[in-house]
Amino acid sequence: MSQSMSIPASQTRRPATMSAGMSDRWFSILLITPAMVVILVFALLPLAYALDVSFRFADLTRGRLGDFVGLDNYRIVLADEAFWKSVGVTLQFTVSAVALEMVLGIAIAFLINGATAGKGIIRSLMVLPLATSAAVTGLFWRYLYDTQFGLINYFLGLLHLPQPNWLGDYTIALWSVVLFDVWQWTPFVALIALAGLQALPKEPFEAAELDGASTFRVLRTLTFPMLKPVLFLVLVLRTIDSVRLYDAVAVLTRGGPGTTTESMTFYLYRTGLKLFRMDYASTMAVFFLYAMLVASLFALAPLLKQFSTRASEG
Amino acid sequence: MKQILIAGAVASTALVATVGVASAQACNDADRVPITWSTIAGFYTDAMAKLVSGFEAKNCVKVNVVNIDNSQLYNKQVIEMVGQTGAYDVVTLETSEKAEFAENGFILPMTDYFADKKAQLDDVAPTLAALTTQYKGDVWGLPYYTYTAGYIYRADLFDDPTEQAAFKAKYGYDLAVPTTWAQHRDIAEFFTRKKGDKLKGEELTKDFYGVGLMAGPFPEIQDEMSGVLWSQGADWLTDDGKVPVDAVEKAMDDYLKLVKFAPPAALTVTYDGVMNQMKDGQIAQTYSFFLDQWPNAVTTEQSVPGARMGVAEAPEKKAYIGGFLLAVSASSTHPKEAMDFVAYIGGHDAQMEFAKAGGTSTLMSVLSDPQFATPESRAKTGHFATLLKIFDDMKGFRSNLFDTPFGAKIYNTMQIPLQAAAAGQINARQAAEQLASDVEKICGGPCPIGK
Repeated sequence: MSQSMSIPASQTRRPATMSAGMSDRWFSILLITPAMVVILVFALLPLAYALDVSFRFADLTRGRLGDFVGLDNYRIVLADEAFWKSVGVTLQFTVSAVALEMVLGIAIAFLINGATAGKGIIRSLMVLPLATSAAVTGLFWRYLYDTQFGLINYFLGLLHLPQPNWLGDYTIALWSVVLFDVWQWTPFVALIALAGLQALPKEPFEAAELDGASTFRVLRTLTFPMLKPVLFLVLVLRTIDSVRLYDAVAVLTRGGPGTTTESMTFYLYRTGLKLFRMDYASTMAVFFLYAMLVASLFALAPLLKQFSTRASEG
Repeated sequence: MKQILIAGAVASTALVATVGVASAQACNDADRVPITWSTIAGFYTDAMAKLVSGFEAKNCVKVNVVNIDNSQLYNKQVIEMVGQTGAYDVVTLETSEKAEFAENGFILPMTDYFADKKAQLDDVAPTLAALTTQYKGDVWGLPYYTYTAGYIYRADLFDDPTEQAAFKAKYGYDLAVPTTWAQHRDIAEFFTRKKGDKLKGEELTKDFYGVGLMAGPFPEIQDEMSGVLWSQGADWLTDDGKVPVDAVEKAMDDYLKLVKFAPPAALTVTYDGVMNQMKDGQIAQTYSFFLDQWPNAVTTEQSVPGARMGVAEAPEKKAYIGGFLLAVSASSTHPKEAMDFVAYIGGHDAQMEFAKAGGTSTLMSVLSDPQFATPESRAKTGHFATLLKIFDDMKGFRSNLFDTPFGAKIYNTMQIPLQAAAAGQINARQAAEQLASDVEKICGGPCPIGK
């Protein structure tokens, strides 16, 4: 019996050639080598170069890389008011856009989940904003926002409502960028949340229904706790993406009016590719990367812990 | 004797030309020397393609034209120059970029090349030549296109007796093309009207504005303000390389006084937006505005019933002198052919063709050619006579902004404080001070001026 249950020795072995020439460890390394080469060439080497540049004088229009300047670039960038202003704009944008996207996305996911017909069509339509680049849809939105010829103000005018200068009024320009981002990325949150909702087991909900639990109680004690990993993941993804805000600003406002909508990445672009101060731009990029790494580690720690617990239980 | 000499010269020229054509025709495609020209997408691209063909027909050269969006042209060219890639043999530079490219050795001086072509150099409008081609005593190329600023207005409004009478009653002087910026402001105020008010005796169906401004987040806001600043006898940079804060504040203040007479969209648009406003019958006049847009502006006569367009010098006869300079990259592998190309595109024959296609030529001989002063030609070249006047009135003018090797970086930055003030985020004084601080940071102290 024991013999019949055992796996034949031939099935446990790798092909003879592999066994003879390469251990499991080396085979694993071989498999990940192409990916590692790509990461090395396109991520790590540029990063090392940027790190090097951040410690040098590098005004590209005055020639190639200059001398080492120690921490001068870091001191200058960290004392740069415009840099901190751009950090402020980025944070303001990220907090408002991500919060709105999460709330609206989850609400939409619940609505679709409860719908009895047309789910497929709605899901397909929701993919549309995600399928086009922000540069293209941003152009489209710029025309929608146009004070004179834009559709939004046209309809507001028909309703005798005020017609704001969406991109020219410095008090609302950033909100116009937020609105555009919410339009583009809320479907992403909704689709992920919907997938999470549809994957939830039915039994606990049936039991709660039998026990006569209120909808609010079901949401508070069952739905949201069970959805938490999915929602947390989408929150982290959206936050990382929002902090990198560039396309929408470049197309809609070019950072204006003044610097009202100048995000960190747009300021970095302006410093690096308009002023050609690659030293300052690299310093900002290193700072940006460091901040993102630290934030990601903190944010992802609970998620990683949860995954590793599940893995060890499995 | 003189006739014989002339006949000889003509014959020699014809012979040289024939040999040139023959040699180009005899030239196999494989033998053609390749050169690459980076230029601005959308700026008479079709006309340029014809000019390129004309050059290729006379020279054993193949010209690859790389059209780049205006907002990216400077970046791309600098990157290629720094890398010495040789990707571009001929580059297209804005007036403020010339000194940077020359100082950093990105482009080759063409002084020697033009040593025996003085007549061609002298044909470039001298004011334009001084600002766009010269730096530290050398000639760095030829401008092929000018977007020098002037004043474009709705002449039909100015000629209307009802409007004239109302204007005189309100301001105490005749309604006419403004000769001072104060008059320009009065006109802007006068023509700013609400929906339901009357204009030329007819009820307006939408708001009407006194002036179109390019106050969006683009460099054009400083082009607009340049004329006003220069007419004060000031400049963006003093001879010591610093921003004159008081003068900039005053120019900014004057600008802010106009913003309330402009459509709200002024805060998001550049020249094309102003032209759309004009063609949509929303504005009465421009501020200091690019005259190369005349062929565009004149179409208002078709889009707005009863409209008639006029063009004049900007008030106080000072305006932005802008031109696209063609220069030869220092990393070009075929500098001789590249220089020939620059000389051809900036030369009389090509510029004549360019003007016929609606382009705004840089040459005195073209701008003053009688065929472009006819009523039939008005829609395309009706601004040429005004350009000649501007060049004449601004003869000898130079701006330190165009003579500092940091000009391009300053030019790419100065819009930020100026636009912030136009949008009401900061006041004129703060804008001037921020500009001074930004410029000092860019130059690392007072900016060097390299006349």
